[in-house]
Amino acid sequence: MELSRRAFAEQLALLAAAPWFVDDLRPVLPHALAQVQAQEPSALAKALAQTISVRYPERFSADDLAAITRSIDNRLRQIDRLYETHVTNADEPDFVYSVYRGDD
Amino acid sequence: MTDDIAFSSIVGLGRLLRQKKTSATELATYFLDRLERVGPRYNAVVTVTRERALAEAAQADRESRQGKWLGPLHGIPYGVKDLLATKGYPTSWGAAPYQQQKFEEDATVVQRLGAAGGVLVAKLAMVELAGGMGYNQPNASFTGPGKTPWNPGYWSGGSSSGPGAAVAAGLVPFAIGSETSGSILTPAAYCGVTGLRPTYGLVSRHGAMALAWTMDKLGPMGRTAEDCAIVLAIIAGKDPRDPSSVDRGFRMPPERTARFRIGIPKGADKDIQPEVAANFRQALKVLEDRVELVEDVELPDLPYGAVAGMIIAAEGASAFDDLLKDGRLSQLTAPEDRTGGYPALAVSAPDYLRALRVRRPMQRALDDFLKKFDALAVPTRTTVATPLDKAFRDGWPGITGGANVIGPTNVVGVPGVSVPNGFGVQGLPTGLSFTTRAFDEAKLVTLARLYQDRTDWHTRRPPVPSP
Repeated sequence: MELSRRAFAEQLALLAAAPWFVDDLRPVLPHALAQVQAQEPSALAKALAQTISVRYPERFSADDLAAITRSIDNRLRQIDRLYETHVTNADEPDFVYSVYRGDD
Repeated sequence: MTDDIAFSSIVGLGRLLRQKKTSATELATYFLDRLERVGPRYNAVVTVTRERALAEAAQADRESRQGKWLGPLHGIPYGVKDLLATKGYPTSWGAAPYQQQKFEEDATVVQRLGAAGGVLVAKLAMVELAGGMGYNQPNASFTGPGKTPWNPGYWSGGSSSGPGAAVAAGLVPFAIGSETSGSILTPAAYCGVTGLRPTYGLVSRHGAMALAWTMDKLGPMGRTAEDCAIVLAIIAGKDPRDPSSVDRGFRMPPERTARFRIGIPKGADKDIQPEVAANFRQALKVLEDRVELVEDVELPDLPYGAVAGMIIAAEGASAFDDLLKDGRLSQLTAPEDRTGGYPALAVSAPDYLRALRVRRPMQRALDDFLKKFDALAVPTRTTVATPLDKAFRDGWPGITGGANVIGPTNVVGVPGVSVPNGFGVQGLPTGLSFTTRAFDEAKLVTLARLYQDRTDWHTRRPPVPSP
């Protein structure tokens, strides 16, 4: 099955977010996935991973940090799609805050 | 008792109870013994709740002798995924750091099943933290990888691995599972049982482990759609302790004579395992006089994966922030889970809120799309179960097709059902799924019952050794 760049990005987003969507990820062909994983993570991903490393010093091996950086990088690649979908100022997040008043 | 009891439906067991051919205590003892003797073979059980079960069964028997009948679950044994709080027994969430965790009260679902006369016999295995830390292979629980009773070299699916395997192996007549994105339907398909994922909010989450508050659903797994409907009717409804629960119930739908308009998403059976594709088409053929098929329908092009990923990452990292903070993630079983929660710390609040805002138009667009049909139909999974020793990505190489329905429908919280529809390679079961608009579970149950009235896949038994 051929994938558009957009569909590929969506599948990749799923992989980054939810590897348990097992079959939903089939279109991410192993070689294509390997290509993406071989790409150098962005400077932003590296910097964000560094903040986590600073927050929890001495907790991560080099391999751990590399995995965390890759995961952040994958998620950053999908954020643009969130902002491509039009929402208006009136589209509030889909939860509602309710004020509380306890028993008198 | 014979194996026929082990594989009886709720309806069948209820008939035996009402005819006084057995008692709740006899049934409980029978299933408790099976759970203890057969359960370990499939890594399906965390805790057998013998003491509680015998007490609840004795109570059900007393009520029967007094002429009181509490309904179709009166005296029926059941199990719950070990993310539901139960007083007096550990609730492990499938994760080593929580093996000894105890709660002071039952989850609302357990309370409702108990009030209906149900007999809790087991806390069932699950993928650690319901898979929230990003596991990518079957061995992701302190109880070991869930094994499908049809071929124990293969996964039972996740994250409701124990409920799927336990129902399939005849260890419980039904179980409660949970789904954030695929965790009821996947094990239902891989284990050859029926699984019903209700609309978000139809069933109270109070007392259930939270992975993603705005996506988690609890639902029944059983032998038949009719059984799942019986259970859903009891557990559905508003709960003041779960603000997201809605003031709607569920009733067994009446017979329907009108034809169903069924959408088949584009690519649903293309480039998937051939046996899965063949079983899907054969299943539709079984229903052909009752359905009008609309081929190659396309879901609205929206960033379902990006929204799901952002929501699960942010809510999951918050739900388990204690594990992240004190480093106990390192105690998890799957190596990838030990670091899988940390990347979410880099999610920004505006990005998370953007995902929640995008979900609003996404809900409207998907509802507008779904209202054109009574249901969508797809193969539940594009392959049979993954081999136990392989990463998901490597389990069935070369399978590159299928339609992504589980992801989008979970993001917006609409219901789905999976029924067994045949077998594929290695003697492993396959599943047929229907998905529909919010709160249209009655359509799903009607369709699934219609299919099960005409087929016998749901009555097949795996080669489970006698205890």
